[in-house]
Amino acid sequence: MIPGGGANRLGGWTVGLLRNVTTRLVILLMLALMVITGVYDYVRLIRERERLVDQTQEDQRIFAETLALAVSRNVRWGRTTAELKELLDDILARPGLVAVTIFDPDGQGVAQTVAPGSPIPTLDDAVRETLKSKEGASILAREGSGQLLRYVQPFRWPGGRTGALEVRQTLAEMEHEFRRAVREKVLSRLVVLALFVLSVIALTRWSIVRPIRALIAGARAVGRGDLTQRIEVRRRDEIGQLAEEFNRMAENLQAAHDELLQHGEERLRLEQEVQQAQKLAVVGMLAAEVAHEIGTPLNVISGRAEVLERVVLPDHAERRHLDVILKQAERIKGIIRALLDYTRPRRPNLRPQNIVPILGRVADLLLDRTRRRGAHIRLDLPLSLPKVLADADHLQQLFLNLLLNALDASPQGATVRVTTGSDPLLPAEERAGIVRGKLERPSLVIHILDAGKGMTAEELDRVFEPFFSTKGREHGTGLGLPIVEEIVRAHRAEIEMLSIPGRGTEAIVRLPLAGEDATTRESILQERAPGAGGHGN
Amino acid sequence: MAVAREPSILVVDDDPEMRALLLDVLRNEGYEVAEAKDGTEAVVALRARRFDVILMDKNMPGPSGLDLLPGFRRVCPGSQIIMMTAFGDVASYMEAAEKGAVEYLFKPFRMEEMKAAIAKALGRDVEAGT
Repeated sequence: MIPGGGANRLGGWTVGLLRNVTTRLVILLMLALMVITGVYDYVRLIRERERLVDQTQEDQRIFAETLALAVSRNVRWGRTTAELKELLDDILARPGLVAVTIFDPDGQGVAQTVAPGSPIPTLDDAVRETLKSKEGASILAREGSGQLLRYVQPFRWPGGRTGALEVRQTLAEMEHEFRRAVREKVLSRLVVLALFVLSVIALTRWSIVRPIRALIAGARAVGRGDLTQRIEVRRRDEIGQLAEEFNRMAENLQAAHDELLQHGEERLRLEQEVQQAQKLAVVGMLAAEVAHEIGTPLNVISGRAEVLERVVLPDHAERRHLDVILKQAERIKGIIRALLDYTRPRRPNLRPQNIVPILGRVADLLLDRTRRRGAHIRLDLPLSLPKVLADADHLQQLFLNLLLNALDASPQGATVRVTTGSDPLLPAEERAGIVRGKLERPSLVIHILDAGKGMTAEELDRVFEPFFSTKGREHGTGLGLPIVEEIVRAHRAEIEMLSIPGRGTEAIVRLPLAGEDATTRESILQERAPGAGGHGN
Repeated sequence: MAVAREPSILVVDDDPEMRALLLDVLRNEGYEVAEAKDGTEAVVALRARRFDVILMDKNMPGPSGLDLLPGFRRVCPGSQIIMMTAFGDVASYMEAAEKGAVEYLFKPFRMEEMKAAIAKALGRDVEAGT
């Protein structure tokens, strides 16, 4: 009855609140309590009313008896009807009294007084019964909207007969009182209920809704990407735990996010470094090429000038021309040297290196390109490999170039396999091969195998030549493998390229293992066969 | 030490102008000079006779000077080998040193430098330059 309307008036969110099981249960329990106490109160009020009716009946009886005595005496004294009526009229002032009638033994109304608006009493069965039985009778009758209390009292009529006196009293006042009491009770219950519901709502709002709203706001903020968001709920209950968990989650998210960011930055930095190194290596390669190409003719010029220098002596008139030629030749040499100094990769800083993380980094760097090509790089390497003696940056560049070639050769969806092991992966009978560098100590062997279209023996012979490329103009510089060769030579390592047309190309890098001293190198060197026919051509 | 003959030098370089220059300068110095334009010619020359000094370019078509070096060392252990290459090629320098080259000249080098290197290889003093 009450809660629905009440809740609606208290605002929309309380409806939502009522869906909360605990709140609903508490309110239902409260309602049940209200109904029980209400019924109890109602029963008590009914009993009270019955008691009041009894009391009134008793009062009426005593009053009727007293009045009957007075009337009896007056009748005996022979008072006229008018005098009796006068007496009755005085009595009518008594509260609640609506009519008093005096009947003679024959049932004829002798005198009567009636309050205005009340029905006029007539002889009925109750009066007749009293006249006959000479016994007083109390009757509770319904009259219109209210209840009517009647009392018929016999009295002695002169001549040994019996008259009757009827007093009619309305219970309207009492009914009114009763209704008012019921109303008050209901009202007070309602007030208590309303206060209770309100306090339950306020309590839940304070203890549940508020922290939950804080949680929602926090979750939204985190959802928007504000990972610094924390919730201030200092409680030990489930909500406090939830908030704590939320804060922990946000903290973990933030840490993960930071780490990711850092990793991204690291990767970017690495990428830039590698790019820069690659660029420098390319320029260095070019410069070396230029130096090589220019070196010989320049040497011829300066050499010839030097020959002349011995003939054209310093005091000769035209000697200055020779000096200029020699000076300018020196100048060109200076320019090339400066260019070489600038671009030449620093001497490798050889340290024992674990190769797996280096390969992992390079594969990571190539992630974008791998994805773009729809290819995969599969690192088939045991977790622990013996360390090699190498410069980490140079190795990074070496593997980057080899993997770039492998990826560029790979068709859509193909896998580039990186693995270790002494034997080549491509079968010996069909493959062609070329080796660069010289290995002088036990080595760790890394294979990089692609599933590309492979190369013919003729193409393979030229792969280490600067500016040779099978990729077409838009790809690469044609300096990737020359750079690899240079790095391999600087490391006293070996690179072997094997290929089968239509099947793929395999790059095999043999890197010297760390932990051997230089003297063994000499002994290995001595055993080497001359000629080294595998090189060049 | 043995007979009083002029020291002999084999110049191995693929560049004819460079060979011509070296031949001119070295003959002028009084050496007995032969030339070869690549490894094959050098091998033929070495089979014919021995040289005190082999002046060899690193970069040549076919087997490079570095590739030829160990074989030459074995075939004619008495010859002192001087390598020539474009300057800045440190890796080649180290490899050449390990393979038994006694001197290394970075192109472009001064003729004086070359004379000094040859004199050193022949165990003479640098006075040859002056």
